[in-house]
Amino acid sequence: MQILELHHIRLTARGRVLLDGFSLTLERGARCTLTGPSGSGKSTLLRCILGFTEPAAGEIRIFGAPLSPRTVWPLRRKMAWVPQEPELGNGTALEAIIRPLRYRANRGLGARGRRIRELAAHFGLPEDVLGTPVTKLSGGEKQRVALIAALVLDRPLLLLDEASSALDPDSRAVVAAHLRSLEKTAIVSVAHDPDRFPLGGRVVELPVTRQPDGTR
Amino acid sequence: MELAEISPSRLAAAYLMALVPLAIFLWYGVGLVRRTVIALVRMAVQLLFVGLYLSVVFELNRAWLTLAWLGAMILVADLSVLRGSGLNWRRMGAPLFLALAAGTLAPLLYFTGIVLSLPAVLKPQYAIPLGGMVLGNCLRADIIGLSRFFHALRDQEKPFLLALSQGASLGEALRPYLQTAFRAALEPTIATIATIGLVSLPGMMTGVILAGADPLSAIEYQMVIMLAILSGTALTLWLALWLARRAAFTPWGTLDERVLTETGA
Repeated sequence: MQILELHHIRLTARGRVLLDGFSLTLERGARCTLTGPSGSGKSTLLRCILGFTEPAAGEIRIFGAPLSPRTVWPLRRKMAWVPQEPELGNGTALEAIIRPLRYRANRGLGARGRRIRELAAHFGLPEDVLGTPVTKLSGGEKQRVALIAALVLDRPLLLLDEASSALDPDSRAVVAAHLRSLEKTAIVSVAHDPDRFPLGGRVVELPVTRQPDGTR
Repeated sequence: MELAEISPSRLAAAYLMALVPLAIFLWYGVGLVRRTVIALVRMAVQLLFVGLYLSVVFELNRAWLTLAWLGAMILVADLSVLRGSGLNWRRMGAPLFLALAAGTLAPLLYFTGIVLSLPAVLKPQYAIPLGGMVLGNCLRADIIGLSRFFHALRDQEKPFLLALSQGASLGEALRPYLQTAFRAALEPTIATIATIGLVSLPGMMTGVILAGADPLSAIEYQMVIMLAILSGTALTLWLALWLARRAAFTPWGTLDERVLTETGA
């Protein structure tokens, strides 16, 4: 079963074409790292998959269902997203992780206290960091908190946007190894330098798109 | 006790009080003379018209006329909230009008119909000043609450989108923004209620006392109007934000930025 299908996607921003005719399919448990120059539409592509931005052309299917205003709500419950430079709202790091578990759609998941503590320990976040207000966390701590918040949701599709950019090399290796071990999770990861955050699977380089007037 | 009449010549004498600030402005070159004079003239003209119109409305004493008057006040409030909070009238004009109408009329009718048990709930002598007080406070609170809500949502979009991506319904994702909006909008009203009578005598109480009622009746009216204001403000803001879900968000759950008139900060 295809978890994610992108067909002939065209992305535009402020009149510029970022990406044109882009297609990609991802099976259950498959990994794909998207790379490419800044402004090539990597992050925008993830936002399209989440239904936050509509592509100018093309079709997105998730679990076989075409992404539409009607299907996006149940489909978001099959994805988890770690945004670039995550902003986690108010409260402590632990609250930022627990808050999504209280959404009606996620109530079936339970409290997940043990899993949260295991992941935090594994990713090198001490207990006191979990009690710290999110606004006081460092960039690397925020990223790990956002990763834990995404992982405890146990979604079959994980969307990572530069999810390791603020991590030190040791944490990055631990996080990458953990993600590689998730056999049932399909992952789309946006990374400037895929070698520094190896998740296995394909590496797809987004092209610099030639504008209709011939400029780059 | 009768209310002492103010004759036109005495009213003119009252205007002499304005000479004090005008003299200060002139002496120090504050640059407010023109605006002060215009404001004072506007006040006289506007209140003169309202006074004349209200005497007619009170004289005729018709429910439809009172409603029409309230409707006009709500429309003016609607437009000033939209302008004050930077919202597009095409999107938010109608939802906000409904919210203001419900938030004004519900506490007003409760006040006149149940608390005062008036036979005619829309008796203009009660409905217009009380409705005006509730509406005036809704207006102030709505400007604060709505602009805080929409601007926070636009400027701090990331936690909102993160919540949606985590499976939140629109209501769940908007919850922190609603909390901020309600706090900002209602804290001033709650602070006023908490200090009422200590800092100054409230306007309504002063009016009732001047009209010849004893201070104890005056405080009863004051308490009821504060309750009406508190419930009216909360109701208006809640309803406006609830109706905004359709008017201000795309079917994908993201903020439709066309709801905001200005695109800058």
